[in-house]
Amino acid sequence: MSERKFKQVGTRPIRHDGLEKVTGRANFGADYSLPGMLQGAVLRSPHAHAKIVSIDTSPALEVEGVKAVISGRDFPIPTREGDRQQYGDVPDLANNVIARDKVLYHGHAVAAVAATTIEAAQRGAEKIRVEYEVLPPVLDIESAIAPDAAILHDDLVCQGPAPVPSSPTNVARRTLLSGGDIEQGFADSDVVVEREFTTPMVHQGYIEPHATVVETLENGNVTIWCCTQGPFAVRGLTASVTGIELSKIKVIPSEIGGGFGGKTTIYLEPLAVELSRRSGRPVKLVMSREEVFRATGPTSAGRVRVKMGARKDGRLVAAEVVMYYEAGAFPGSPVGAGCMCALSAYCFDHFVIDGYDVVTTKPRVAAYRAPGAPIAAFGVEQVVDEVAERLGLDPIELRLLNAVQENDVAPYGPKYQAIGFRETLEEARKHPNYSATLGPNQGRGVASGFWFNAGLQSSASVHMNEDGTAIVTTGNPDIGGSRAAQAIMVAEELGIGAEQVVPLVGDTESAGYTDLTGGSRTAYATGMAIIEASQDIVRQLRERAAKIWGVELDGVAWEDGRAVPSNGAASDVEPLNLAEIAAQMGATGGPIVAQAAVSPPMAGPGFATHLCDVEVDQETGKVTVLRYTTVQDAGKAVHPSYVEGQMQGGAAQGIGWALNEEYIFDENGVVENPGFLDYRMPVASDLPMIDTVIVEVANPLHPYGVRGVGETPIVPPLACVANAVAAATGKRFTDLPISPPRVLAAIDGD
Amino acid sequence: MAVVVFSSALAQHTGGAGRVEIEAARVADLVKALCERYPGLRGHIDKMAVAVDDEVHSDARFVRLKPDSEVHFLPRIGGG
Amino acid sequence: MQSIPYQAPASVSEAVALLGSDAEARVLAGGTDLLVQVRGGVRKPSAWIDVKRIPDLLGVSVEGDSIRIGAATPAAVIFEHPELQRLVPGVAEATDLIGSTQIQGRATLGGNLCNASPAADTTPALIAVGAQCIVAGSGGEREIAVEAFATGPGQTALAQGELLVAVRIPKPAARTADAYLRLIPRTEMDIAVVGAGVALTLGDDGTCTQARVAIGAVAPTALLLEEAAAALVGSRVDDDALARVAAAATAAARPIDDKRGTIAYRRKVVGVLAKRAAAIAANRAQER
Repeated sequence: MSERKFKQVGTRPIRHDGLEKVTGRANFGADYSLPGMLQGAVLRSPHAHAKIVSIDTSPALEVEGVKAVISGRDFPIPTREGDRQQYGDVPDLANNVIARDKVLYHGHAVAAVAATTIEAAQRGAEKIRVEYEVLPPVLDIESAIAPDAAILHDDLVCQGPAPVPSSPTNVARRTLLSGGDIEQGFADSDVVVEREFTTPMVHQGYIEPHATVVETLENGNVTIWCCTQGPFAVRGLTASVTGIELSKIKVIPSEIGGGFGGKTTIYLEPLAVELSRRSGRPVKLVMSREEVFRATGPTSAGRVRVKMGARKDGRLVAAEVVMYYEAGAFPGSPVGAGCMCALSAYCFDHFVIDGYDVVTTKPRVAAYRAPGAPIAAFGVEQVVDEVAERLGLDPIELRLLNAVQENDVAPYGPKYQAIGFRETLEEARKHPNYSATLGPNQGRGVASGFWFNAGLQSSASVHMNEDGTAIVTTGNPDIGGSRAAQAIMVAEELGIGAEQVVPLVGDTESAGYTDLTGGSRTAYATGMAIIEASQDIVRQLRERAAKIWGVELDGVAWEDGRAVPSNGAASDVEPLNLAEIAAQMGATGGPIVAQAAVSPPMAGPGFATHLCDVEVDQETGKVTVLRYTTVQDAGKAVHPSYVEGQMQGGAAQGIGWALNEEYIFDENGVVENPGFLDYRMPVASDLPMIDTVIVEVANPLHPYGVRGVGETPIVPPLACVANAVAAATGKRFTDLPISPPRVLAAIDGD
Repeated sequence: MAVVVFSSALAQHTGGAGRVEIEAARVADLVKALCERYPGLRGHIDKMAVAVDDEVHSDARFVRLKPDSEVHFLPRIGGG
Repeated sequence: MQSIPYQAPASVSEAVALLGSDAEARVLAGGTDLLVQVRGGVRKPSAWIDVKRIPDLLGVSVEGDSIRIGAATPAAVIFEHPELQRLVPGVAEATDLIGSTQIQGRATLGGNLCNASPAADTTPALIAVGAQCIVAGSGGEREIAVEAFATGPGQTALAQGELLVAVRIPKPAARTADAYLRLIPRTEMDIAVVGAGVALTLGDDGTCTQARVAIGAVAPTALLLEEAAAALVGSRVDDDALARVAAAATAAARPIDDKRGTIAYRRKVVGVLAKRAAAIAANRAQER
């Protein structure tokens, strides 16, 4: 594998969807319209926690133009089978899409209206009468786990190892990983550092709000246009929530303006389906930015306590990590993944990782880029930094002394296969950023990070055009340049240029089942299906050439996009190129098409090391990022520009999380900053050009050695920025965001 | 026989046993046998991801086990 | 779509007549604040009076001893104006801080004043240079000092039927210069957490002979600070004087705690910005 000489993989062709996107022609979720289409509006809860005593939707129907109105009672009663899955089960999902008996956060959907105009729909929604019995909000971890806490779910019993509460609680699950003897480990340590960290709820901040158009036919068939990371997930989840047979639903994904995990679930689709069924007309629902902030996908607020011990020689010995993650209204925070990532970069003989999934009356969390890992790394990587400081060791040196490598045992059990963590540390140490001169009030931070790549199910089909070009279809919406990467893989196998391959995103009826674009899995898993299908095409091309030449299959080899004679057969013939073979498809057996499906294991983990230089204004507390460098093991970068783009994008999101982003709730649980003006994501001018170094340690599970790259880059930045600010100020920042008021208060000793 | 290595959390259901040898052809058979031997595991390990010889599967039921396979049960994770 | 009647008068008198006949009509210039407010349901105007076609409200002119900026002049035209940049760099830089490049093509100086946000960037800068608002009504024109124009958040001294036509800035005397600074957690696309504008004149020996200091986002309206100015006048704008400017600004600030900043933070930082703006203005004046 490592000897393979790639011709297309590693090149940087122009993305196939680029022209439509830069000229504004590409269609996103809100761009679809149908004749006779109604506009919908959603009525949302004004309370963070309340019982719905009654809903009277009839006044809405009296508003001119209103054609349909629905509430939670119009959906099948969600039933729970078994316990709640880690990522939330269908009843929780259904109750999040529209509240039935109880609202669990401010902005929770309680009813929806479809009308001939958006104004009529909004007027209709305002007329709906809802009687609430208001309950106390539960707005942080402390109050959620307090003995007298208001309980969100009467049927919520904590899962996980003892001791856990046995009566209904707001703690949904405990995850515990341990090894060695933690007390002995600390006793054997020369240095022990212990700190507690907090991070606020933050949003993915995708630029495109959720949007859907739904058409229903008299025969019950439903077509859904929407922006999503997973059209098959939308189909399956919508079927479960609405009770409609899955085979009657077709989901057509639009182009997608960002998702970062937040578009792996559903919000609007079942509402639009039900409104369309009742009105007999197509219905469009588009969220405002405010609705996106109030009712969709943040990631958890977290509280992480880290205690770490090391010997004088720099060897890390013991670590104890206790993590509480807020799940929002329904169980399913990514604390389990946080537990698995927290200590996975280093070898500890003695460790305890103890994680709690806590429900609060806030929006239900959704996946966000390496869910759970950045919060854990914010604590662990700062404590590692402090251990290095206490021992007088260079922070990269300390990490190299303890970095995991192939055959080391991960804290969650199995051994690592080939991984490139040490390589990222060594590249970071060599990078000019690491030796750049720092001025007054400037500081440098280092942090590393770890994340998995999902495997899951993927399929791909490849077919040849009669001019020798190819089309590849998958069920993965293109969220990060996957079309270009997919075309490169087909081109590599066929021996043609990437521009001679058309990559298509299919819908749920034109593509084979494929799990969502997420979990850093698309280039890895769907890529495997594409490579396999392309290899099948090559085999068929050789068969056709063999037929033309009148030789056996083994008399034809495939080189540089041409069939050439081999094994001494037909040595007098001219090689046949793709176009020449394709032109004779009819005479040699008909169209050339292939498909492949895979369900691979999770890919080898991806590691990254980041460097950050900051300057801190000592009088205002404002932090300016001067330099930022990301180093990451990509296994094999198929289209390096998109790998670098993922590394830069993840770093940018992580820097925002570190410095300014946070949900600000008032005492009633109302988000006070539901817009980009006051939810302060970084703008382009806030960031330096983020440098990228791609390390390639081949993933043994993939034919090219590919690892997913999309998520790992958001893991190190929170701690990396915090370590840099600590170096610049001499103060340790344990609470995010590291915003100017917080920095100034620390500098002034307030 | 395959070796199953339990986390300390799961070992609460095995009477503290951290390594268990068990005869099974596939992961599904192994889960069934384990749940028979340790009924407390039921409802836990059948919903977890499984690492077989260091390859992690989100749904491992039909993964074949070698005579010397090592098996770990892990929390399922979701990606963004 | 919701429909709002729209008119685009060609003269000040026509606009004043329209405004006088409809108390709920709103003046529309760049629309960068108003359209957002209307879409958010905060305002429901009965009509739009678009003033971008009134020649008197457009453009920058320097005549005699004053600079005149039409109220409907877009921000980009103002901060890109070479003479304005030279004469009142603080006003130019304040205008350059509004919104983003795209917003600056639409947003106007008059709009920034009439929106009457306590955090408006141009307000402290204009107060510092002693700017006057030229206001037209049915009875003719009157002038209102910028520091008296906003009377509270979203409230102005305009009477019903009055229109802000232009801003008049006295042409700065010799060895006079201004500066404006604001703090936002980002670098652009944000609203001032605090702002400070300073204009001052230096004598031949470097002693400050005149000064005006204004601060924004720390009270219901921007404040003109007599005491901070007094700290500068007679000094050589040295560290001691700057420390007294900072202390005066901090003492005068009456900020609120909100999602954009805390009381303690705003009070501290307004002093920092006032002293830094004074130092920049002094350096600029020195070079003239």
